Amino acid sequence: MSEFIYLIPAITILVGALTLMFMSMYEKYTVKNFITVSCIFLFIALGFSSLSFTDLYSVKPYSDLLNNVLIFDTFSNFFNILLILGTILTLLIGEHYFQHRSYFKGEFFSILLFALFGMMLLSHTNELITAYIALEIASFSVYIMVGYNTEDSKRVEAIFKYLVLGSFIGAFYLLGVVLVYGATATTNLSELGTYISTHSGDDMILVYIGLTLILFTFLFKIAAFPFQSWVLDVYRGAPMVITAYMASTFKIAIFSFFMRAFLQDLAPIIDFWDTIISVIIVLTLVFGTYLAVNQNIVKRMLAASSIVHTGYLLLAFIALSYKDGELLNIDSAYATMFYLIAYLLSALGAFGLASHIISETNVRVTYNDFKGLAHERPFLAAMMTIFLFSLAGIPSTIGFIGKFYVFTEAINAGYVSLAILAIIATIVSVYYYFKLIAMMYFYPAPSTCSIEGFNDKRVSTYAIAFVAILTILGGVGSAIVFFIPILNIDTLIALSQTAVQSLFIK
Amino acid sequence: MSPDILSFIIFLPALVAFALMITTKDVNTIRNIAFLTTTVILALVLKIYIEFIPSDGMQFVTNVPWIETYGINYYVGLDGFSLTILMMIAILIPTSYLLLWEGRTKGYWLNMLLVQTGVTGTLLSLDIVLFYFFWEVMLLPVFLMIGSYGFGKKVFTTIKVTVYTMVGSLLMFVAILYLGVAYHNEFGVWSFAYNELMRITTIEYSTKVWLFLGFLAAFAIKIPIFPLHTWIMETYKNAPTGAVFLLSSIMAKLGVYAIVRFMIPIFPEIYIEFSAYFVAIGLFGLVYFGIAALMQDDIKRMFAYSSASHLSFIAAGIFSLNEYGINGALYLIIAHAIATGALFLLVGLIHEETDFKSIKDLGGIAKQAPILTFIFAIMLFANVGLPGTNGFVSELLIIFGIYEFNHTLGYISAITVIVGASYMLWMFQRAILQDRPEGSPTLIMRDLKIKEIIGLAPWVVLVFLMGIYPEIFIDKFEPTVTHYLNDILHIGASK
Repeated sequence: MSEFIYLIPAITILVGALTLMFMSMYEKYTVKNFITVSCIFLFIALGFSSLSFTDLYSVKPYSDLLNNVLIFDTFSNFFNILLILGTILTLLIGEHYFQHRSYFKGEFFSILLFALFGMMLLSHTNELITAYIALEIASFSVYIMVGYNTEDSKRVEAIFKYLVLGSFIGAFYLLGVVLVYGATATTNLSELGTYISTHSGDDMILVYIGLTLILFTFLFKIAAFPFQSWVLDVYRGAPMVITAYMASTFKIAIFSFFMRAFLQDLAPIIDFWDTIISVIIVLTLVFGTYLAVNQNIVKRMLAASSIVHTGYLLLAFIALSYKDGELLNIDSAYATMFYLIAYLLSALGAFGLASHIISETNVRVTYNDFKGLAHERPFLAAMMTIFLFSLAGIPSTIGFIGKFYVFTEAINAGYVSLAILAIIATIVSVYYYFKLIAMMYFYPAPSTCSIEGFNDKRVSTYAIAFVAILTILGGVGSAIVFFIPILNIDTLIALSQTAVQSLFIK
Repeated sequence: MSPDILSFIIFLPALVAFALMITTKDVNTIRNIAFLTTTVILALVLKIYIEFIPSDGMQFVTNVPWIETYGINYYVGLDGFSLTILMMIAILIPTSYLLLWEGRTKGYWLNMLLVQTGVTGTLLSLDIVLFYFFWEVMLLPVFLMIGSYGFGKKVFTTIKVTVYTMVGSLLMFVAILYLGVAYHNEFGVWSFAYNELMRITTIEYSTKVWLFLGFLAAFAIKIPIFPLHTWIMETYKNAPTGAVFLLSSIMAKLGVYAIVRFMIPIFPEIYIEFSAYFVAIGLFGLVYFGIAALMQDDIKRMFAYSSASHLSFIAAGIFSLNEYGINGALYLIIAHAIATGALFLLVGLIHEETDFKSIKDLGGIAKQAPILTFIFAIMLFANVGLPGTNGFVSELLIIFGIYEFNHTLGYISAITVIVGASYMLWMFQRAILQDRPEGSPTLIMRDLKIKEIIGLAPWVVLVFLMGIYPEIFIDKFEPTVTHYLNDILHIGASK
């Protein structure tokens, strides 16, 4: 029974997803009911996850039944909390949007929870095939959700591009797994780790090739160059709320599995990919910036800028290295995790706020549509400004602290020129983020697009305000805001440290 | 008095601003409370000024952990340098409020308050990450002010000035991180306090030069030093008076201050080695901007160039490696802030009342507004350095300093001051004194109101007080300068 308690959050989500599926058979439930029920399940799962989130533990429950393919430790728990929080916030921020789009029916929420279940499983998985299954559960749910936008003709392009390319890269993953299995006769990460630390030379060739193919899957899912081509169109065609979900929560789930694999088991050969990844970082930063500057639709701009943020994340990832039996620069793992939190908050806020604004209209959300927002709805404009500041890494927001860690660790690991390139990308990012702020504040509202009597007192607004407060608190911390002891920046780092340490419990 | 007084001074305006933001919409109330806040701060700063002991080092220090993992502290304190500039800010801001009384929107006053938090925080931070934090934050309200209340192509100007200054700041950010990492590698712990970073010995010479340039990029853009000045013309022309005042009188000086506070202690040998170039660039900037000012017809642009010209002179003084030069530069920081601040505000007033902004359209103001002309003249003379004004003392000290540094450059600097006098006086003659030609459109200019006179009176008093009794001011910061030269640069105070 004591082992069962670790399984509760994931099982709760699964039960929640099934419940919602049954509920959706009845006509009488409204979208509001579905949101409430989803939130109840999510909060239960969050509660059970938070029970043990400061403890240091690592268990493989029911090993005779599960055969050690799932691992439950502080690391996965940390990511579970983030994933559940991301989903809750997506639901609450999207509340307004869901209610004004007729195509959101009950089963949508069921699919959302299935996606979450897949992602949570992904953070627990300790075996390559299981990881593939978890990844596909999450991905297929997201494919379906991308296609929900029946009012937009772009959705067909979005869903097909994503489905075809996603399946294609899935084949790469499987090929990689086969090659690794061919060399090592195992797909379990722990056994793979043992093989790697005891073999070298010719024995490793297939492993290297196989793992490189698996790495490509990772790069595809987080949209690094040259695997980024789907991002703009998919983000553009998906319903706004789903874009927010993909940009923030899904990315975290991908990172949770690959960080586990690289830190826990593949650490001895982690430096093998340094050259490839540094080239990819350069291309990702340059190309992402180029794309972001040229966009006119805000959603596409945010999508393109998410490519740039992937570059920053990889910058922290590459700073990890291995020498003489131990991981060097383990701090950069914390930096990655902190940056993921920072990006979760700011991207969710920015995408979510945009979806909130357009809920009752059907505009494309170009830069021009933001004109005069500050005069009509000053608080929403102020919050959007906070999120954009955070994305641009302006001090006093969590995005700045995240960039601070990432760049410090990159310089610490000796990647000074990459850090400078990332800084240049940041400079350019100031341009395209501030352009939006300028639109909101410095132009009068276009007369055709005024939305009178807009009801600001609703769940979405409060959820966005909550995210905005977290963004500010995470950037200012408790030393300056003396009266708030929680959400200390150091606490977040301490949590991620505990999480990473739990990976090394054998 | 508890040392937390500095934190109180830093955060009071921001807290008031947030409180006002959510409580009231009435512009008059906001303006009055904002004014009251700044006067409270002025009183507190006066108290600090009296309690300050010149011979001690850092005083009123608060040092508590902020981000412990990386050794970043909330570390504030003040010494002779910062005290002088703090005093300058505390006096300038409330009096400028009296002249900017016409600010009609809520956002304008809230931004003014937020700027005050930003500049005071920048000034008092001793931890370099905290400094960077405030350095960036102080720009944001100005960004909003230019974009919302500016003239002409204001949006383009706003984006340009933001990206431009951000380039410098982020280059400095890399340098800061590099220093932090170097400290970590050498001592095994993280720290970003300026007095800790001074102890780094492991950085190679060539790297140090790059780091030095990284820092310089941020400060030189803000000051601005030739050739990084291209943003100021448009900005000063299109920005509202309040923002121009803040940028030219206060933020530009913070750039100079930051050179003294962080760059000189951390890179003393590079500072000494490169000083000749910077003195030369400073003097070149003085002449270049002076000649550019001479050719301007737009009065705000002319002042923008004039301001850049003086700041180049200040930079030359800072790099002159001796007591005269640095004392003079610090003194000119205050003198220039007072004179230029007043001139910008008066020009802003003229522009608002008459709607003319080019020199050839103006004229004949002297007859219609004698008091304005009188104060304008005093500030103008202070600006060109007429004996008896504070400008004279500071320019004399800097010329001495540069002369000590290099005789030839000293002669050149003495001659270049003439350029400054010529464009100022020529402008004064054409825009204020000269009668309007026949047939030109009528120009109606009111004289100063009582509250504006009250606002400017302390500045006028200061101009002469500082011009006639410089000792009472110099005594407050001279020990710090001596300490810098003896203990940090090891080149002796009385070289």
